[in-house]
Amino acid sequence: MNAAPSQLRRLAVALAKHAASVLPGAPSWAQAMRHELDYIADDSAALRWALGCMLASYKARLTHRFNQRAAWRQVATSGALMLLIGLALQEHAGGQTEPPRPAFDETTCSLPDVSPELRARLRCGTVSVARNHDKPDAGRFKLAVVVIKSEQQPAQPEPVVYINGGPGYPLTVYAAHQARTPYAPRRDLILVDQRGTGQSEPSLCPDLGGKLLETALALAATGTEEAFARRQATYLACRDQALGRGLDLRDFGTRVTAEDLEWVRRALQIERWNVYGESYGTTVAMTLVALHPDTVRTVILDSIYPPDPVPLWSTTVNDARDAFFASCARDSVCSTSFPNLAKTYRETLARLEQKPLLVTVPPQMRQPDDRVMLTASLFEAVVTNLLYYPTAYPNLPHLIQTVHDGEPQGLGQVLATQLAAAAIQNRATHAAVECRDRPHYRQDLPAGAHGLDRRQLYGVCARWSDLAPSPLIPAGTRVPTLVIAGQFDPVARPALSRHVADLIGSSARFVEFPLVGHNVRQFSPCGAKIAADFIDRPAQELDTSCTDRTAPIPFLPKAR
Amino acid sequence: MPRKPNNSRQTRALLAALLERARAWRHGYDLSKETGLKSGTLYPLLMRLSEQGLLESRWQEPERPGLPPRHVYRLTASGLALAREQELEAIAAERAGALA
Repeated sequence: MNAAPSQLRRLAVALAKHAASVLPGAPSWAQAMRHELDYIADDSAALRWALGCMLASYKARLTHRFNQRAAWRQVATSGALMLLIGLALQEHAGGQTEPPRPAFDETTCSLPDVSPELRARLRCGTVSVARNHDKPDAGRFKLAVVVIKSEQQPAQPEPVVYINGGPGYPLTVYAAHQARTPYAPRRDLILVDQRGTGQSEPSLCPDLGGKLLETALALAATGTEEAFARRQATYLACRDQALGRGLDLRDFGTRVTAEDLEWVRRALQIERWNVYGESYGTTVAMTLVALHPDTVRTVILDSIYPPDPVPLWSTTVNDARDAFFASCARDSVCSTSFPNLAKTYRETLARLEQKPLLVTVPPQMRQPDDRVMLTASLFEAVVTNLLYYPTAYPNLPHLIQTVHDGEPQGLGQVLATQLAAAAIQNRATHAAVECRDRPHYRQDLPAGAHGLDRRQLYGVCARWSDLAPSPLIPAGTRVPTLVIAGQFDPVARPALSRHVADLIGSSARFVEFPLVGHNVRQFSPCGAKIAADFIDRPAQELDTSCTDRTAPIPFLPKAR
Repeated sequence: MPRKPNNSRQTRALLAALLERARAWRHGYDLSKETGLKSGTLYPLLMRLSEQGLLESRWQEPERPGLPPRHVYRLTASGLALAREQELEAIAAERAGALA
């Protein structure tokens, strides 16, 4: 057990925190000074260091870097600072200072599907954040924020902030959906459109998704180098367009998104919150915990987005698909109707390689003659997407069989649904974040890469922007952490999620959910219950018995 | 005569320390110990050099679990050029002193 920090150490921490608060717009410098403190073993040296940090912060504040008037105001309050020093010497003074707050500008809510009852519980608005947190004078971005007040009032003081996946998907537009299943009793819910997504401003190349759809279908249909190059050119045209609008593509990435959330927390006057990260949101959540551990009460990482080094995506997908086929083999209905689904699937791919199928698609897809060429590569992408959703599992073996037999049933509608879902994602923001975060996309397509891997950002990122400081894993954090994973998740296999939990250390618990794909809580009532229990009472033993009572997949038998 | 930028004793000490192990990423506390500069002097210098493009910085993963990531620094190409120039000046000044 760690010894209690000495009075000198507590004072040093309080002063370092205060020093950081003087530099609210330069978080990396503020954190740089503060973090060093933890590497100084001697308490007196730590105190001297912290006093110097305070001096450094005031110096920086008084130079051209920051708002002069505010700086002088702060210096004028140095009497209050002396008071702080006095308070820090008291037993309970540790870390009670708050930096100057960014503002939450409340606006009228204009969100879809909101009932009158829910409308009364919503607060909508924006938080203006620095484009570049190291250069607060270099302009602002505006983030859309929605607060959903808990049905039960008074709510607990620490709300839940849900960080969604992508990168590039909107969130606030789904407020009504998010309100349906509370994350935990008596907790308000905070939703933020990450920079470059949803209603947040500015938006990056909103038309890129449509253009990419055409190139993606061409790439799937032909797989040629020309189609691959055309797709890259589409991305790079977007980059040029963004630069032409005065945007700096270095203003994106997980680090900056995590810092944005910290600004939102302060704008909403929340002391601590419960962080719920899903898919790519887990990357942001882990970085947020690593950078601002004192602000997080609990963190849940639902369906990890693989941290670097990332396994080849096609390898992960193959493994997830094999797990699904094995579960079919163990199920009496599925195995009777589809005796060797894995073999059928392989044969289907081989047949499509030889002779792609023309599939009729709904008119809204705007394809010539309402038909799409179903190649092996496109079919593989369709099946991969279906592995995300447990709602698709009952029909998946049947779908594979009909394509195998050359008579696909309902595939056009599946394609239309998947492409409509893909169109919601801002692909430019996706690239902007991934190209900042992921070193491997700066390299050539690796050996053993597959059609699925070719759809990723290889060949784009090296010409898109520089690499940013990498996202973080809060190794050794004391923040109670729950990592949850679905058995058939095609983004990260449960073993990888467990590995991340191990890296986080003894504060992390790991639970795997059978017969679930990506995004556990959304599709598993058992997952939602366990998450709520954890947020409610993080110190208690988790009751995970509902995972043993998962209902079998109601597989559809083969049509006679 | 206008004052030459980045020529204060403290800045020169910092540049010399960074030049000593030019390719290595250096921590703030280590630089403080090596140069004798207190954090209140050191960080404004680091910020200024960084703004001038003479210094690059990044976050380094924690050294062991439970510790926060560390901000580390090293000279950019132009920072390296300036530090070398100042080193040569210092050597020349020393020699001049010896000859005087």
